[in-house]
Order: sequence, then structure tokens, then C-alpha cells
Amino acid sequence: MGLTVDIVKNNRSKGHEQFSRDKLHASIVAACLSVRTPVGQAESIAHAVSGAVIDWLENKTEVTSQDLREVASKHLESHHPEAAYIYRQYRITI
Amino acid sequence: MDIISSLSILALAGLIHASFQLSVSVLSLVNGHALGSKHSQERVLRLSTSFVVGATVMTLLLLSTLSLILLNIFVYEIPAIAWSAVSGLMFSVGVAIWIFYYRRSEGTSTWIPRPVAAYLTDRTKSTKSGVEAFALGMVSILGELIFIIAPLLAASMVIINMPASWQLAGIAIYTIFSILSLVIVWVSIGSGHKVSKIQKWREENKYFLQFIAGGGLIVMCFYLYTYEVLSNVVIIGGY
Repeated sequence: MGLTVDIVKNNRSKGHEQFSRDKLHASIVAACLSVRTPVGQAESIAHAVSGAVIDWLENKTEVTSQDLREVASKHLESHHPEAAYIYRQYRITI
Repeated sequence: MDIISSLSILALAGLIHASFQLSVSVLSLVNGHALGSKHSQERVLRLSTSFVVGATVMTLLLLSTLSLILLNIFVYEIPAIAWSAVSGLMFSVGVAIWIFYYRRSEGTSTWIPRPVAAYLTDRTKSTKSGVEAFALGMVSILGELIFIIAPLLAASMVIINMPASWQLAGIAIYTIFSILSLVIVWVSIGSGHKVSKIQKWREENKYFLQFIAGGGLIVMCFYLYTYEVLSNVVIIGGY
């Protein structure tokens, strides 16, 4: 059975959306690639991080997008600190 | 003011402009997204080049337009009151930069309202073509107009005070110095450096950059005020 968790975006001002493993996976891959990680390594890191985030989401019905980003970056930190740094910086660069 | 002093002031004004970080932040994000979208290095470089050209064109347009407007207002000479007003503006903007240019939080978030920052961040993600990157470069300069206006106005006044044959050189010097920070990021990304290294350096040195930008404006304000206002008063007073 698929995971059905509501993601609250930007303090409810942007509404809700269903959690998507593919979207999380793509964002982790993008963070890894942006620090010039080889594609294969980026994919396997994203796979591991997405799995860890899904474990964390078990038994939760609603989380904020910020919580999701923090948990993902915490797991990413152990695989690729530079990618984790860029992942965390996304909304605080400008 | 002699030519060398005028060109030096323009270089300083350009460097102050270069120390404002909105364009650099946007360029870093554009590069990060382009690399993250599996684009080739050539395409990443094309997007960054378009962005830098857009920022350059907007700076040139703003400086030329301001110079033209001021040239039409001050047909014969620039009155001391105008120099005083620009000095006052530079001082106020310098202090404002010291107080609130960067937010007191993690990252390199600036004073820009959060919805605008979110919009710009989203735009960097959707930027896929050179034309979009060019437009984003232009917008990133306009976005900081509230701070850039001080060095731009001072530079325009210095430019219209120069002999006509030197005015184009003056505009070129200001523009070249003002895009130096963008060129450094452009060259770094082009030569294979990581966006994370650039962003980390910027985050670690953000308060220093803030101090330099504000301090530079205040130093320039005192120099122009002393040279263009006080020295004239002393000369008139002493015949």
C-alpha cells in the first residue's frame, strides 16, 4: 500500500499536496548533481535518502515541507555533506 | 575633478555596486539548477553567460539613462545642493546596508521580502533558455535598485562632469567593475568549481561584504561631499 501523507507547503499559504517519493528523489538527485556528483552515485544516494525519509513518514498523516526538507537534508548529510549543504540552502540563498 | 580621480571614483562606485549580492545569489541558483537538471557544461555556461550579459545590459541602461536625465537637468553645472543630496543619499543607504542588508539567519538571505525571494528562487528553477536567463539577469539588477541607486546616481554625476570624450570610458569603467562579482562566479562555474564552494564562501563572508558595501558608500559620500561641496565653499570664502 502506498504512503499517503499530506505535505503542508509554506505555512499553509501554498496549500497541501500529497507526498511523492519521485519528487523527493528528483530533488535529492538535483542537489547531488549540482555539486558535480556522478549521476549513478547521485541516484543511489537519492534512493537511500528517500527510503530513510519514507521510514520517518510512517505513521504520520501530515508534515510540513520544511520538516521534510530538514529530515531529508539530515540523512543526505551522512552520504554527501556538500549536496546536503546546497539542499538546505535552496530557500535561503536569496 | 581631474580624469584620474573621476575614473577612480567610478571604479569605487562600480565595486560598491558589485558587492550587492542579489545578482550573485540568483546566478548561483541558476547554475545550481542547470547542473542539477543534467544539462551539459556548455549549456550551463550558456545560461550563466546570458545572465551576466543581461545584468550588464541593465546596468549600462540604468547608468546611461540616469546620466542623460541628469545632463538635461544640470545643463551648465551641477549645483552644490545636488552633490549634498547625493552625498546624503549615499550616507543613508550606507547606514541602511550596515543595519539590514542581510537577514540575521542562516544562509545568504537579504532584506528582500520573502514572497519576492520565493518568486525569484522559483524563476531560477524554471529558467531553461538563454533568453530567460538574460531577462533574469536584468530583473536581478532592478530588484536591488533601492540600494544600487546610490552608487549609480553618484557615478552618473561624476560622468556628466567629465569631458564628453571621456564619458563613454566612464560608463564602461563603472559597468566593468560593477559586474566583477558576477564574472568571478561565471568563471568559477565555467572552470568546474562547485556551486557549494561559492555559496559557502559567500555565507561565511556575508557580514564582511555587508560592511564593505556600507563602508564604501560612506567613504565615497565623504570624499564627494568634501571635494564638490566643502572645497567650493572654502574657495568661494577665500576668493
